[in-house]
Amino acid sequence: MMVDKSNGIIVLTLVCLAIYLFVSAPPPLETNKSEEASIPVEQLFKLLQAENAAVRALWTQEIVGSGTKAGLKFDEHWRDKDLEAGPLPALFLRETAKSLEKSPVRISLFLGSDFPISPDNRFEGLQQDKFQLLRQTQQAQFFYVTDTHLYTGMFADVAIAEPCIDCHNKHQQSPKRDWRLRDIMGGTTWLYPAPAVSLEELFRVLTVFHQSVQEAYSTYLDKVKTFANPPVLGEHWPREGYYLPSGEVFMREVLARTAPQTLSLIQQSIHRLEVPDHASHR
Amino acid sequence: MNKPTTPRKRQHLAFLLGIVLGLAGLLFLSQMDRFHIRGPMNTGHEDVKCMACHKDAPGSARQQIQANLQFVLGKRQNSANFIHAPVSNKECLECHERPNDNHPVYRFLEPRFLKARQALGPDRCLSCHAEHNGRRVTLTDTSYCRNCHKNTQLRKDPVDVPHDRLIALNLWDSCLGCHDFHGNHIRQPAKTVEKIIPPEKITAYFNGGLSPYGEQRHHQAKKETDDGR
Repeated sequence: MMVDKSNGIIVLTLVCLAIYLFVSAPPPLETNKSEEASIPVEQLFKLLQAENAAVRALWTQEIVGSGTKAGLKFDEHWRDKDLEAGPLPALFLRETAKSLEKSPVRISLFLGSDFPISPDNRFEGLQQDKFQLLRQTQQAQFFYVTDTHLYTGMFADVAIAEPCIDCHNKHQQSPKRDWRLRDIMGGTTWLYPAPAVSLEELFRVLTVFHQSVQEAYSTYLDKVKTFANPPVLGEHWPREGYYLPSGEVFMREVLARTAPQTLSLIQQSIHRLEVPDHASHR
Repeated sequence: MNKPTTPRKRQHLAFLLGIVLGLAGLLFLSQMDRFHIRGPMNTGHEDVKCMACHKDAPGSARQQIQANLQFVLGKRQNSANFIHAPVSNKECLECHERPNDNHPVYRFLEPRFLKARQALGPDRCLSCHAEHNGRRVTLTDTSYCRNCHKNTQLRKDPVDVPHDRLIALNLWDSCLGCHDFHGNHIRQPAKTVEKIIPPEKITAYFNGGLSPYGEQRHHQAKKETDDGR
């Protein structure tokens, strides 16, 4: 009799719990994984790399290269208060990477080499193996790192301009002094925590990348404003004299240089998304 | 007809009710936080509220239970956090992020730092600053630079015993004698090895003592607001 009563209470409790949890429950909690993540992360990396390469070329040639001729200075210790200088190309990339990390979007960017000026930037382990493969095959490398659970893309960082090879060949600490134009001088590494992204996520990452480039450039302009004789900021570029483009003008040029390729890659991604639908209608 | 409860039973029920209400008060009233924390707050965190780090997990408790049941039944890809989200670097960086960190945590996510991640976990703030220990740095090893800096060389080495020589001699305890890990202190490093900060002073600082690097800093940590953010 007592057992029956106890069983009854247990059954009643379970029924109440089931009603509480499922019958009258609030809408189910969203999962962390995107349901529509159908663009492979490799595609996202390719898109970002194309953007980054364009920004890097713009910074190296139009700001550092022309700027040096116009009287601007660029230095590895550019942040020092008593130095009127801007970041070298690798450090501009690092500024961009630092800004990327401030966003909730978990995209990461790094730059390294097998012959870096600073030995602390030398590739090691799996990253070195993949970089050697990249050197041999001239192909980007995509792999998964098990301990961090991050999907990784490695791309060649090519000597695109004279300032790249001049600086690395002359630098006292450089372990290699025979760099030539078009050499693979190092590699950029991208990290993302998922094997695929949705179109919305792709746009979000792209937006965050643009914001990070803009923030990196703003950091440089903030430093420039402290110079005893700062260059005029506005529409003009260093190739025209002692000028620097404003943040807006710089970003306009970034978008002009990156838009065609980015648009083409996005169209490819959308086409891939649509193909299964077309197939199912046939 | 209900059986009358004996005074003894009523007494037991009253005790039970008292204990339940007391525990509920301790667990759910924010003013009672200090009674159920896992240990003393770390140095400088004495006034930090629990909610600054222990953020609410997404959704209501009901949704969280529901999601976890679905996960157990294989109807959902991932489990859901219950009541609180896990503490991550994000919570630490809300107060401690600054533009000039010499060793930002994200940098250690790069694949090449695998050995350092395995040895120290420098990609997570809590690896070295585990909270509720009443200290500043919970890492006890003061020679951890060995994990990444075996090839470090300086172009114009300003120290009487050059860095590569100190490395060759395995004097890894000397690194922190000049350099604080995050580079946030404003100070001139010593030019001679005999003037570097001794390891015992570094250890005392780790344990919550005065800074041997001086009190001048590039960036002060943000103070949290009244709502715990």
